[in-house]
Amino acid sequence: MKKIAVVLAAVMVFVLAGAVCAQEVISIGHTVSLTGGASMWGQSEARALDMLAKKINDAGGVLGKKIEFVRYDNRNDGVEAVNVARRLVSDGVVAVIGPAQSGNSIASAPVFERGKIPMVVTTATNPYVTIDQRSGKVRPYAFRPCFIDPFQGTVAARFAVTDLGAKKGAILYDVGSDYGQWLAKYFEEAFVEKGGTIVAKEAFRTDELDYRAQLGKIKELTPDVIFIPTSQKEAAMAAKQARDLGIEAVLLGTDNWGSPDLIELGGSAIDGGYFVNLADLADPDIQDFVAEYKALFGEEPVLPNPVMAQDALIMIVEALKAAGSTDGEKLADALANLKDIKVTSGPLTINPEDHNPLDKPAVIQQVDVANRTFKFVKKYFSVD
Amino acid sequence: MWPGLFLQTLITGLSIGGIYALMAVGYSLVFSVLNFSNFAHGAVIMLGAYVGLALASKLSLSFGIVLAGSIAGAGLIAVLNEKLAYSSLRRRKAPSLYLMISAMGCAVFLENLVYATIGSRFYAFPEFFGRQVISIGGSSVSLLDVGAFLFALVAILGLHLFIKRTRTGIAIRAGVSDMTMCSLMGVDLDRLIAIVFLLAGGFAGVAGVFLGIKYLVYPTMGWVTNKAYIAAVIGGLGSLPGALAGGLILGVVETFVSSYISSVMRDVFSFSLLIAFLVWRPNGLWGTDSEEKV
Repeated sequence: MKKIAVVLAAVMVFVLAGAVCAQEVISIGHTVSLTGGASMWGQSEARALDMLAKKINDAGGVLGKKIEFVRYDNRNDGVEAVNVARRLVSDGVVAVIGPAQSGNSIASAPVFERGKIPMVVTTATNPYVTIDQRSGKVRPYAFRPCFIDPFQGTVAARFAVTDLGAKKGAILYDVGSDYGQWLAKYFEEAFVEKGGTIVAKEAFRTDELDYRAQLGKIKELTPDVIFIPTSQKEAAMAAKQARDLGIEAVLLGTDNWGSPDLIELGGSAIDGGYFVNLADLADPDIQDFVAEYKALFGEEPVLPNPVMAQDALIMIVEALKAAGSTDGEKLADALANLKDIKVTSGPLTINPEDHNPLDKPAVIQQVDVANRTFKFVKKYFSVD
Repeated sequence: MWPGLFLQTLITGLSIGGIYALMAVGYSLVFSVLNFSNFAHGAVIMLGAYVGLALASKLSLSFGIVLAGSIAGAGLIAVLNEKLAYSSLRRRKAPSLYLMISAMGCAVFLENLVYATIGSRFYAFPEFFGRQVISIGGSSVSLLDVGAFLFALVAILGLHLFIKRTRTGIAIRAGVSDMTMCSLMGVDLDRLIAIVFLLAGGFAGVAGVFLGIKYLVYPTMGWVTNKAYIAAVIGGLGSLPGALAGGLILGVVETFVSSYISSVMRDVFSFSLLIAFLVWRPNGLWGTDSEEKV
């Protein structure tokens, strides 16, 4: 009996100590793919966040407290992302950074909304991350620092028609991904509006490896350009298989292509392909960040996630300062009204109507295999 | 639809089927002797691909040496797998269900081992042969695919002859029909089974390298072998000609479904085929008599 009392007392001390400690720090949740297909970006994202948090804490923290991350691996899986969201809510974090993918973000958003915890996604570009598709209303607790897919799809289509002179377009996309499905739709609409024709729209399932059946059909219709809104892995395989089938069309992709291993995975087949990206390593705005990251970790950051994650953290920090409180409701209100703040990727103003940034440009990059780099081609500030 | 598409679909289907057949052989070999579906085979293929990748990218060896190294590496891994995970079950005459569960455990274990040690990122083999494309009547196929296809045929034929003509092959066939009798006649069963796993692993190494070159190398790449399993069932589990034919049939049928019906329907179709065969023709097209295998 005495032993039990001692143990209980010890437990109480720990609980109390925990409660006291909890007041000393501001816990920010981070739901990220540390394993799984998107882990390259996830790992880099976590590093960039730790790097920035250390700087913020060394400078005195926020509201007199240090920030710390409660980080869980969502394995880039919708079900796991929801589990992570529930855990973060029960952990009582103040705000959340992530997820990076649209599907996972859309799945997580209602959980954070019920918990009244603001979520700032990093690179989830689907419009329905911040807007509830059913009601058409803005989700009060969802925010992002990146551009959205209708913009990205339109930029890609405009580039294809005006700069590449494409008349016939084909689309190869992942039917199991929100990201791919919607981008395929936005590209198609914009491409047709600009006067082009979509001759083929072929889908494959997530985790499928061979697209030659779909590409064989596309080949018969001789498109000028093939739009492939997937991650670098699928893009690399699609490029190899397209070239094996003797398809000469220009390959055009989206921000998920923007991983350095695209070149290694795609080899000569991906050479000359174009894609839309959120950030460019050569962008003067992020040179300081890139240099700092390289000095610390000995390699280049895997863009764009680390930059966008830092942007998300800065948004939360600025909102905490503006709200002067860690209350979820006040914080969400402050996030919605962020104006002219300085984030890693440049200036940022959030549109209170849809919680998207007002001023995020898109860059077009070209894959240059010989020099193992993505060449900057063009920057779009708007598509109007 | 278009005649060009028909030929292209057929060629693509055969090239996919060749890889399925290579993987299905490994299943069939083990099934014929130990009478269980070795679901760890996919993980051995994956490890074979990593062995080949290490030889190719770290040591910059030529294709032939990479392939040989991968065959040897995957063969040893398969033997080790058997010694560690199956042999004690086998000696205790555990039901084959236990072996199958152990195999599934091995698959998950090996996959996570790679996650933990090498990581989850994707890798590609260096381009051994450049991108050479052969044109056949307006349809295209890469030289690599033709080479892989022919190699698969020759390797499977070689294995067939080995089992039909050599002393060890005869011992394996004896083991297939009656393991106990075989050991009473003085055959070293442990050695025999090790050879079977060495052969299955060797084929896994070949499949791993070809898969890695055609697609990518990553920890879960072994799961594509569930297609090879379907191929083995279609051909008749335990039958080598069946594995070859099953692989080719599945590859061609799948590609036609993708091209002419819907690519999204492809797996619905493949797995329906698996269920249909298991229900109506569990011995497959070739395994007419379940007692006669390999």
